[in-house]
Amino acid sequence: MKKRIFTILLLLCVIGSTVQGAKADSDWYTYTYNFWGDETASPDAYYVSNIFYGPNFGEGVGTLNDPESMFVIDDLIYICDSKNNRIIELQYVDDVFKLIRIIRTVQVSVDKADQMKVDKGDQVVLDFKHPYDIFVKKIDDETRKKVYGEYLGELYVPTSEDLEKAPEEETTEDGETPDGETPDGETPDGEEQSASADNAEDAEMTTTEAPDAEPVEGAEDGSEDGAEDGNDSEPVDGVQNDVREKLNRDYDLFIADYDNHRIIHCDYNLNVIGVVHNPVDETLKGEYIFLPSKFVVDDAYRYYVQATNINSGLMEFTKDGTFTQYIGASPVTVTLIQRLWRRIQTKEQKKRTKQYVPTEYNNVTLDEKGFLYVTTDSISDDDLNKGMAKPIRKLNSMGDDILVRNGNSNPIGDLKYYGVIGQKDMEGASAFVDVVTFENQTYCCLDKKRGRLFFYDFQGNMLYAFGNAGMNAGCFSKPSAIGKLDEETLLVLDRKLGTITIFKMSRFGQLVNEAIGLYRIGKYDESADVWQEVLKYNGNYDLAYVGVGRSLLRKGEYKEAMNKFEVVRDRTNYSKAFKYYREQVVEKNIVWFLAVLIALIVIPKIIRWILRIRKEIQEA
Amino acid sequence: MINKLISGVIGFFTGKGFKNYLKSLKYSLYLIFHPFDGSWDLIHEKRGTYAAAHTIVILTLLTTIWDMRFTNFMLNGTRWSKVNIIMQIASFLVPLGIWVLANWCLTTLMDGKGRFKEIYMATAYCLTPYVLIGIPMIFVSNVVTMEEGVFYTYFNIFALIWAGFLILCAMMMIHDYSLMKGLGSTLLSIAGMAIIMFIILLFFSLISDAVGYFLSIYKEISLRIG
Repeated sequence: MKKRIFTILLLLCVIGSTVQGAKADSDWYTYTYNFWGDETASPDAYYVSNIFYGPNFGEGVGTLNDPESMFVIDDLIYICDSKNNRIIELQYVDDVFKLIRIIRTVQVSVDKADQMKVDKGDQVVLDFKHPYDIFVKKIDDETRKKVYGEYLGELYVPTSEDLEKAPEEETTEDGETPDGETPDGETPDGEEQSASADNAEDAEMTTTEAPDAEPVEGAEDGSEDGAEDGNDSEPVDGVQNDVREKLNRDYDLFIADYDNHRIIHCDYNLNVIGVVHNPVDETLKGEYIFLPSKFVVDDAYRYYVQATNINSGLMEFTKDGTFTQYIGASPVTVTLIQRLWRRIQTKEQKKRTKQYVPTEYNNVTLDEKGFLYVTTDSISDDDLNKGMAKPIRKLNSMGDDILVRNGNSNPIGDLKYYGVIGQKDMEGASAFVDVVTFENQTYCCLDKKRGRLFFYDFQGNMLYAFGNAGMNAGCFSKPSAIGKLDEETLLVLDRKLGTITIFKMSRFGQLVNEAIGLYRIGKYDESADVWQEVLKYNGNYDLAYVGVGRSLLRKGEYKEAMNKFEVVRDRTNYSKAFKYYREQVVEKNIVWFLAVLIALIVIPKIIRWILRIRKEIQEA
Repeated sequence: MINKLISGVIGFFTGKGFKNYLKSLKYSLYLIFHPFDGSWDLIHEKRGTYAAAHTIVILTLLTTIWDMRFTNFMLNGTRWSKVNIIMQIASFLVPLGIWVLANWCLTTLMDGKGRFKEIYMATAYCLTPYVLIGIPMIFVSNVVTMEEGVFYTYFNIFALIWAGFLILCAMMMIHDYSLMKGLGSTLLSIAGMAIIMFIILLFFSLISDAVGYFLSIYKEISLRIG
């Protein structure tokens, strides 16, 4: 019998060590992580308000084909319908999308064309090849002139053929009238050239250095297309802008024209102002082809570009398109063993082993304060296990990562990434592709692997996560971009399904947001009241306990605060509360403590004394 | 009847046996401060009793469990929903048993004088510092902040080092080894523990394979017939 028990014990030993991790049940949609890193069901923070397919946007849009990116500014939404080589501009009014226009081409004015070494007629039309990203910036005519100089030169005048074939173009012309009215609108070429001499030089340099440079080719392609259109006087689908509604906005559009290897900068009426192409730098080899995938333009009009095949960080360009530097490259740490191993490897082996190169980013976003948020989806398991993985980073102007990571776990998305879903391609760490930042410094990361959205606050605590892979509402197949219409409305673009899902914030989400906002501006007690409210919706919400506990701590109710912190195992805050509590208890009971202390010293002495006396008496 | 029982109990506690037990238990306090003399006398002068050794083992086991239960959550990360108390007990007793076994196997080959039971008794006595420091530290953990918690950690580490040092001394004394031989035999015993664990794992995986094999044969046959 004893032997049998022992055997069973040993068996338990063996079995217990191999079975690990319970299978996560997927009954919930929104979830949080508790202290132990387990998913905890949560009330929905956002709910699906609507889902739009391409044809819903308006007639003639058709399905979206691999849309890579989306940009939201005020009420306008720009979608890069990449494989269809077009950009769709929509307006969100009364919970519906209204098609404003479909952008397929931009125009270059005469002297701009001259600058680009293209001399074809009065107009040069640039079309897109796989537009990858779009950025829109608010800028009025005056600032534009100040920043970019006399960029427009002579007005772009559409030819009569143009007018015939596309009546919509007329509206474009009308739109330009305000630009034409600017006093310096018709300055001679010479002056204009000097204003943007840098750009011209740049263009010249690249053309002389590399005669086969892509942008020139691209420009020629564009112009040829335009010319063909003119000759045939038949609108060829694909190179015509389709303007449905005329809006007047002080926006500038920046478009990453991926397969044409350039970033086009144009005004709202699609007149090209500048083009960023072929960066010139020693680090770039001769046959380097500029493939801008994602980029932003900051308040100083600098470009921060993530280009394919560049892993030294983001490429920084000045406003006139001159390459200045790389920023934000992630440092590579090579261990001594790796270095030694590399030394004894043969050339063939070296080729085959993994290269120790910095991670390549896959997206870049600008937050309200001008910091860059970059994401990457190439994370090694090694880093993940060590807790060093940084799929999302916040870069300052020096390119240092300044993201605060004070949460129980770092912002890496799902904490359980193996054996959860069961499908091989769904396993592994979350792959972030886009970020959106909010006013109260919370940010939301989009995971393309499992189609999930992860929200983090400014301290790096996870607020909630939701989403899943699939075809249901609120699930995504291959999400590619995320944007916000306002603080409470999110848009998620799915590249595979070609849909835009609109999420609206629920009461629970609003409360959490409110509590964080109040805390940030120093209204701790008000914040605690809101957290209390949050607890009514979700009793498992760790941050709410901490929020309430903090307020109790400030009020001096240490014991209660300790209880709150103990529930969510917040060691640091508990320790803080305990320190004060201990002080309080000692101060209150100082008499007793002293009494016990004295008793401990005195009583043994008395006993010893009595014993001695007794002994003496006995001996006597 | 009851009278007899009571007098029996009283007799037990006042009897020579119990007194001897208490004395041997108290001897552990001498042993921890005099490792060489202490462990020599423990075996050769018959100062130790198995009852006392069992008591210390049980106290050590209780200390590990109390440590999990009563240490402040700032300083320990026990997750009770995942704790299997039987596993906890086994994870202490099984290594102890394997250690004694491995050490005995090895020292028998290396001219060790110690017997199986003696190795067990000496090891048990050497765990005393862990109990003596561990239990007060559980109380201490509840009156310190996180910054002061390093004392808790250091004291516990100190207790483990002390116990380890005692075991080494005890092994030298009971087997009548020199320092180098004692050290070598201890290290080899640890390697022996690993080998024994490996064999146990191998044994179980083979058994489970065999069971699986016969099960599948049974299934096959029952499907064919049925």
